[in-house]
Amino acid sequence: MIDFKGYEWVFWEGLQVTLSVGLATIPVALLLGLLGAWGKLSRNPVARLVAGTYTTVVRGIPELVLILLVYFGLTLALQDLASWIEGGASTVDIPPFPAGVITLGLIYGAFATEVFRGAFLAVDRGQIEAAQAFGMRRSLALRRIVLPQMWRFALPGLGNLWLVLIKATSLMSIIQLPELMRMTDVAARAVRLPFTFYFGASLIYLTITIISIVVLQRAERWANRGIRRA
Amino acid sequence: MRLLKLAAATAVLATLLAGGAVGDEMRPVRIGTEGAYPPFNSIDPSGKLIGFDIEIADALCAAAKFKCEFIIQDWDGMIPALQANKFDAIIASMSVTAKRKEVVDFTGKYYSSPAKFIGAEGTEFDFTQGSGLVGKTIGVQGSTIHEDFARAKWPQAEVVTYATQDEANADLASGRLDLVMANGVALLDGFLKTPEGQGFVFVGDDYRDPDFHGEGAGIAIRKGEQELVDAFNAAIKQIRADGTYKAINDKYFDFDIYGD
Repeated sequence: MIDFKGYEWVFWEGLQVTLSVGLATIPVALLLGLLGAWGKLSRNPVARLVAGTYTTVVRGIPELVLILLVYFGLTLALQDLASWIEGGASTVDIPPFPAGVITLGLIYGAFATEVFRGAFLAVDRGQIEAAQAFGMRRSLALRRIVLPQMWRFALPGLGNLWLVLIKATSLMSIIQLPELMRMTDVAARAVRLPFTFYFGASLIYLTITIISIVVLQRAERWANRGIRRA
Repeated sequence: MRLLKLAAATAVLATLLAGGAVGDEMRPVRIGTEGAYPPFNSIDPSGKLIGFDIEIADALCAAAKFKCEFIIQDWDGMIPALQANKFDAIIASMSVTAKRKEVVDFTGKYYSSPAKFIGAEGTEFDFTQGSGLVGKTIGVQGSTIHEDFARAKWPQAEVVTYATQDEANADLASGRLDLVMANGVALLDGFLKTPEGQGFVFVGDDYRDPDFHGEGAGIAIRKGEQELVDAFNAAIKQIRADGTYKAINDKYFDFDIYGD
């Protein structure tokens, strides 16, 4: 067994933060992704413009820059706004955890938009027309026909995003969030054993990935039930 | 417009929640530190912040009657976090530099780690600047302030450069060098306290030439908060005078890290 000089706990503490940031980001990203895909496929030109701008801007800016913008920039803007309204110095703050979840949610929501857009388009158009012929309204057709089938097409892409996301949480170390990478770094430098600790951390990331892949395979099998394989 | 009003109202509410009444209680001061730079600031196996910076900060807060709280922040985001009001002061061995002074204010130094020579125990050298160390070999890490300093002050010595400090130390241990010059703390922790460093000691003076070695480490404060700078400066003076500083200094270093 590798000797971590009494610092084994940093992995556990860091893992908890990494997983909570990752898991908390999923609903935000999925919601933004669905909204974004809806906007991009909408007949409304304003919705198309907003969704198009969102995915272009967010996918075009490095994650690290967005994190710094939200955590430091947005905080400063809020403080300026508050002191402008109230007069005097302000101590408004966006704590690291929500700042991290908001940023990662924004970023991965933009990527999820494209995954969902592709999945929507993959659902056979004839089925939607058939639903309309049955007298279903668009919302009902969406709920009963499109969404259940869309997951089948979206899951591989979303699973891929999750694997990238869980590693992107390590960027949160710059904003006081003690996630796995940051905790590993702190311990590695305290005892000057960088290789040992980074090796331990990479094993943990790898384990998360392997478990995720197994779960995703099951989910895909479930989503594909009743579908004949070609 | 409604959105702006909502945001404004939320911001005001957050301010009210955050900035409670202080009254005559001790002033709360949040201190940002890195927690990954031993022996100055690091985290021990139980998760506690330890190190020279931390003990000095505690002593300064006691002297200034501040109620201090430490916030651990990665080095890269340290100054942005100070500016975004995530904390009020940086005590993290931050060197005072002209570039940093453009964006934050600094107190006077609270330490200035000297450049020092190490050599074999019992050897004697003539360290006279300009004319001393004739024909002696001095090992330094290349492209550092120490290389520049050694070449400028002892032109008659042979200055040998290495890619890393460890290589210079190893060549001293094997007898190829007479002296090695580097930061005193780096030499103490990285060599003298290790098994390879047995039989070697600090020789000569502590060198703190502002032109080469800078002004030392200070406490960074947001611009425009002069009273906080003044309070920390007074506290530094006080712990220097009442012996608190020396007690902490001697726990970590066998030389005075403050300088004069």
